[in-house]
Amino acid sequence: MPETTDFLYPFIEGDETDSGTLLEDLARSAEGKWAQSSALREATLTRCQAQLQATAAAMAERFRAGGRLFTFGNGGSATDAEAVAHLYTQPPSGRPLAARSLAEDQAVMTALGNDVGFDLVFSRQLIAHGRAHDIAMGFSTSGNSENLMRAFAEARKQGMLTVGLSGYDGGRMAAEGTPVELCLVASSDSVHRIQESQAALNHALWAGVQEALTSPG
Amino acid sequence: MATGAYGAGCSRLIDVRYIYRERISGATSGSEPGAGCHTGAVGDVAQQTGEVEGVAQDLARASLALARRFSAGATMWCASPTWPFHAHHVAVEFVHPVIVGKRALPAVTVPPAADMVATLRASVVPGDIVVVLADADDPRVVDAMRRGPAWGVETVWIGAGARRPEPGAANHVIWLGTERPLEASELFVRIYHLLWELTHVCFEHPGLLKPEPECGSTGDVGSVCVTCSDEGRPAEVVSVDGDEAVVRTPDGQEQIDVSLIDPPAPGDLVLIHAGFAITASAPMVG
Repeated sequence: MPETTDFLYPFIEGDETDSGTLLEDLARSAEGKWAQSSALREATLTRCQAQLQATAAAMAERFRAGGRLFTFGNGGSATDAEAVAHLYTQPPSGRPLAARSLAEDQAVMTALGNDVGFDLVFSRQLIAHGRAHDIAMGFSTSGNSENLMRAFAEARKQGMLTVGLSGYDGGRMAAEGTPVELCLVASSDSVHRIQESQAALNHALWAGVQEALTSPG
Repeated sequence: MATGAYGAGCSRLIDVRYIYRERISGATSGSEPGAGCHTGAVGDVAQQTGEVEGVAQDLARASLALARRFSAGATMWCASPTWPFHAHHVAVEFVHPVIVGKRALPAVTVPPAADMVATLRASVVPGDIVVVLADADDPRVVDAMRRGPAWGVETVWIGAGARRPEPGAANHVIWLGTERPLEASELFVRIYHLLWELTHVCFEHPGLLKPEPECGSTGDVGSVCVTCSDEGRPAEVVSVDGDEAVVRTPDGQEQIDVSLIDPPAPGDLVLIHAGFAITASAPMVG
C-alpha cells in the first residue's frame, strides 16, 4: 500500500536502525491520544448529564420492581457488555444487581448464529428470557448493528426498558423511530475513543443507578 | 457505614461541572459544597486524574517490542483472571482491527476458567507474547509471569494500584497509580487501544523490526557473551529421573544433571549452567 507520508520517514524502505526517534514519536502520540480521550470523556459526560440522570432513574425503577439487566454488543462492544454485567453483579461498592451479557455464552451464540442467523442472536435470547420489568442495554460504536436493532425491537415489544450506547452521530440507534428509548452517544469518529468514552458513560450510569436506589422513593 | 458509598442527602447524581472544577483547581474533597457526592464510586467515575506521564514511554517500548515479536511470527496470549472482558477486548483488537486494511494479528484469550499457567505452558512457543491485566499480587499471574524467561516469551503486565509488580517481574510493566477500580478499568481500555495503535505505527518502520542481533552474530570473534558463558540460564523442569532431569528452555528441551540442588519437581524453575542445575531459585526477567 503506497504511503503518501513516506517522505517524512527517510528510512521507510527498511534500513532504519535507530529506534530512539520512533520511541519518542510513539510516546508523544500516546500523550496526544490520551489527551483526546480525556477531552472526549469530559465533553460526553457533560453533554449527557441530564440523560444519564433520567436513564439511571428509569433503570433504578426497573431494578426496584425486580427487573434484570441484559447487555449485548459485537466484538469490542461485546466485551463492554460483559464488563457492564460484571460491574452490576460484582460492584466495587454498593448493591449487587442482576445483570447478564447475552454475548457471553458461546453455546447459545453459535447455536443461534448457525441455526437462525447472526441478526437474531440477541433478540432470540430476549424472547426466551425477557420480562416486562427488565432492561435491554446494547453497545455499538456505529449505532447501526442489525442484531442490536432487532434485540431492541424485541425488548420494546415485551415492555422492557431499552438503553443504547452509540458513537459517531448515534446511527440508527438514535434516529427517528428507533426502538431505543434512551440513547447515550459518544460523538467521535474514532472507534477507540468512542469505546473509551462509553466506558465512562457506563460507570457514570452505574453510579447513578446505585445512587438512585439508595435515595428514598 | 449505613449510607454506603453515597453521601446521604446528596441531590446531584453526577455533577460533572463540580468535578472538573475540583480537578482543575486541585481542591480536595470536602472543601466545597456537595463534597459528599464525591466519595466512593461516584467520585471514582468523576475524579479521573488519568496521568499519562511514564505510561506513554512504557507504552512506546512495549509496542515496539510487540511489533518486533509479531513480525517474527509471534502469537499473543491475553489473560486476565479477574477481568476476563479486558483480555477478550485485547485479543479482539489485534485479531479484528477496527481500521480496515490493518493486519490481522494472531491474538488469543486464555479462557478465564482455565488454569492459566497450565494453559500457557502447553500453548506458548519461544518468541510468543503474553499480555496480562492483573493486580500486582494475583498469585496466578505472578506464577505465570516468572516463567516467561524459561518459556522464552515477551511479557507485558498491565495493572493499577499503589503496589506494583516486583522489579523484573515482566519485560514490560504498564502501571497506573490510581487506587480507584473504575478509573483503572476505564484507563485499561485506553492503554490497550494505544498498545494496538502504536504497534501498528511500528509496522511502518520495517528497518526497526528486524530481530535483535543474536549472540555470536556480531562478528566480534573471540568475545563471548554473558548468556553463553558464566551466567545461569532459566529453565522449567519437565520431568525428573533421579539425578537427571529434562528441562524446558527458550532453546528447547535439554537433559541436565540436578544432583547439585534439592530434588526438583516438574514445573519448578531452575537456573542451569553447563549441563547442571545450579540453583532452584525463581529467575526474574533480566
